[in-house]
Amino acid sequence: MKEKILLKAQLPKLIEELRKIYRVLAPVKDNGFYVYKAISSADEVDLDFANTKIPPKEIFFPRSEVLFTYKRTDNGIELIEPENSVEKQVILGIRGCDAQSFLLLDKFFAYGKFDDPYFAQRRKNTLLIGLACNDPRSTCFCTSVGGSPFSEAGMDIILTDLGDKYLVKSLNVKGNELLERIPWIEDANERDIFDAMQLTKKALAAIKEELPIEKLNNTFAEVFDEDAFWLQFSQKCIGCGSCSFLCPTCHCFDVVDEESSTGGKRIRLWDTCQFPLFTLHGSGHNPRPTGRQRLRQRVMHKFNYYPKILSEIGCVGCGRCILACSVNQDIRVVFKAVQES
Amino acid sequence: MTVIEEKIKTEEATSWEPKILAFLCNWCSYAGADLAGISRLQYPPNIRVIRVPCSGRVNPFYLIKALQAGWDGVLVSGCHPGDCHYISGNLVARRRFAILKDIIEFMGIPPGRLNFSWVSAAEGEKFSKVVKEVVNKIKKLGPIKKLTKK
Amino acid sequence: MENLETSMRDIVKNLLNEQKVDLVIGYQKGTMPLRTTPCFVTKAEDSNKLVWNFCCDLNLIKYLLKDENKGKKVGLIVKGCDARALAVCISESQIEREKVIIIGMPCLGMLDRKKIEAEVAPKEILEARVTQDQIITKGKDFEHTLLKKDYIQPSCQACHYNNPPICNILVGNQPLELESAVDWDAKLAEFEAKPPEERWAYFTELLSGCIKCYACRNACPLCYCKECFVDQTQPQWVGKTTDIADVMFYHIVRALHVAGRCVGCGACTRACPMNIDLRLLSKKLEKIVKERYNFEAGLKTDEPPPMGTHTANDPQEFITEPE
Repeated sequence: MKEKILLKAQLPKLIEELRKIYRVLAPVKDNGFYVYKAISSADEVDLDFANTKIPPKEIFFPRSEVLFTYKRTDNGIELIEPENSVEKQVILGIRGCDAQSFLLLDKFFAYGKFDDPYFAQRRKNTLLIGLACNDPRSTCFCTSVGGSPFSEAGMDIILTDLGDKYLVKSLNVKGNELLERIPWIEDANERDIFDAMQLTKKALAAIKEELPIEKLNNTFAEVFDEDAFWLQFSQKCIGCGSCSFLCPTCHCFDVVDEESSTGGKRIRLWDTCQFPLFTLHGSGHNPRPTGRQRLRQRVMHKFNYYPKILSEIGCVGCGRCILACSVNQDIRVVFKAVQES
Repeated sequence: MTVIEEKIKTEEATSWEPKILAFLCNWCSYAGADLAGISRLQYPPNIRVIRVPCSGRVNPFYLIKALQAGWDGVLVSGCHPGDCHYISGNLVARRRFAILKDIIEFMGIPPGRLNFSWVSAAEGEKFSKVVKEVVNKIKKLGPIKKLTKK
Repeated sequence: MENLETSMRDIVKNLLNEQKVDLVIGYQKGTMPLRTTPCFVTKAEDSNKLVWNFCCDLNLIKYLLKDENKGKKVGLIVKGCDARALAVCISESQIEREKVIIIGMPCLGMLDRKKIEAEVAPKEILEARVTQDQIITKGKDFEHTLLKKDYIQPSCQACHYNNPPICNILVGNQPLELESAVDWDAKLAEFEAKPPEERWAYFTELLSGCIKCYACRNACPLCYCKECFVDQTQPQWVGKTTDIADVMFYHIVRALHVAGRCVGCGACTRACPMNIDLRLLSKKLEKIVKERYNFEAGLKTDEPPPMGTHTANDPQEFITEPE
């Protein structure tokens, strides 16, 4: 673990050097909000942001991706692998909550027994440079789900904004290797490390909401059958799915074939349990026919089934669902209601 | 690639000929096209015909999907208003096509990709003239690039 | 505003006490500044939860179309745009007029929360106060005052129906007059004068961020089909990917399906997580229908929508007539 200092004025130089070796993805301001985009110059990068609108899961698990194409020939069906090779890439400016979300997505896509090759290959070829949160938003609740604004889990290097410079800390072998490629970067001194610690304390103190999510684990199961409990939330839900699309840990997908007479392609797309079509059987039966059951499913999946099966809470507390919901559905209100029931 | 796309690719390399999908209503326009054929009237061979019972049967989806699949243009032809075999099918279609055309052209698809006409069973000559006009319009516009899907 | 809020609460309390309705749907304070959230009141004493302010922008008609509310007698707090959407749903037999008690609120326009938040971004607004002319936003270490008139939602700026055209009760009994600030006819004319290439480029650029989440469809009070065309697989009309061809297809067809029915309430734009503003297209739809069929959606409950009817003399200048 080495600590270095990068002056903010040196950031463009770092980005340009990274770009020589890697494809660099960084937060870019677009249409009033931030998204991670592959950049072609350091000017595009804006690290003065809270968090991106679309979660970085899309870098490993794209919105729509062609799995393979196929052609009908006289000898049968010919399968063609997709051309896109995965370059080595760096994602700059990942927040602690999103880095944690990658670890959760790994449990679904790449846990060793049956690795999803598309996801796993991207994960393997990516280096993560995180950015600690000095200023958590009022909608952040990472501390309630076992995270923190200065969490290092899942990252290879973490940056801490000290005002006119960043404290650069390598967290593993991959991080060390990268630091070796930029020998011009100075060592940090004790004052810098002390300042970073002060910022950590300040950020933790800023998160006022402490939701007893771990304790509520079993209570969720108790309210499962109480229709009136779930109805108070589902009655205002319009089932648009924005919460799941913008959630960094939601990972459900649909696979469709787009065909023509000569062949076609198989595509994987994001899907959401909030759409009635999600559980519609070929027979016409739907085990979750109402919004109430679908909303219950999403909450239970993240806060009851995940802890039971994987011993992890399926939420990283980023607050994107709260910000995205057009009818102001707030998961924190759901927790309080569960607590009181 | 679809058959259309492959054909278009070869055609672009040589001299391009537009491919136009024509929906003709069974009772009037299809008969009119048939009459044009029997009368040995010449018209460009760029259209491919789909016979429908009535122009009102034509779902705007078909037209947009045709453009998406690579057809350079579309023609929908039905009975004259007042003469529809199903009384009012073409009147329903008229409103639908008007709105579709307005929206598509507003969004930037040039006028000429979607075409509509009234051709009766006795109007073989009119049919050939309509096709000539549509093919000329689309030749000037060039092969379709917008809306096509890879 | 406070008087309207108090009168509205009294009206709701009376309706519930007299059992004229089973349920009243309105707005209550949200969990964040500048937000409201739908409020479902079944008991008279809960009527004090209801609020009326410059952040009541949601279109509540959507909830009347939900299966769980069908058949109930519902009181609904509506603005002009909501009332028009309701009129369209009634004329399409989706809602029974007798089962709804429309509590109309005269509206001077709602605040554009996303624009206000973008103004101070990346700082976060923790508190906001709205006065006669100003919006005072406060955050961790800033205070920023904005002129209210610059932050009214665009669909409100062009609104001619700030008093609901159909309602049972007009709260306050004083219709308000609002000067339309945005001349949409001029904007449309300016856009239509551009060459097709530029217009296509505008729309593909606008929709390049679309993630096909269908929030616009879900938020729209007029999109109530049990099976939407996007979900049909036999045949599959529109691809589900985010390829621009699929995105354009989806938006063109949704525009086609709401032509003559769209009232310009802006629910689609508000719901979009990617901040895509479809208002130019929805205004064009209104204009097409007005010019061709002299029809304006949502003013009467007994008029059939223009795409559900026809006359012998509809304009047909677009028909190819060779010389």
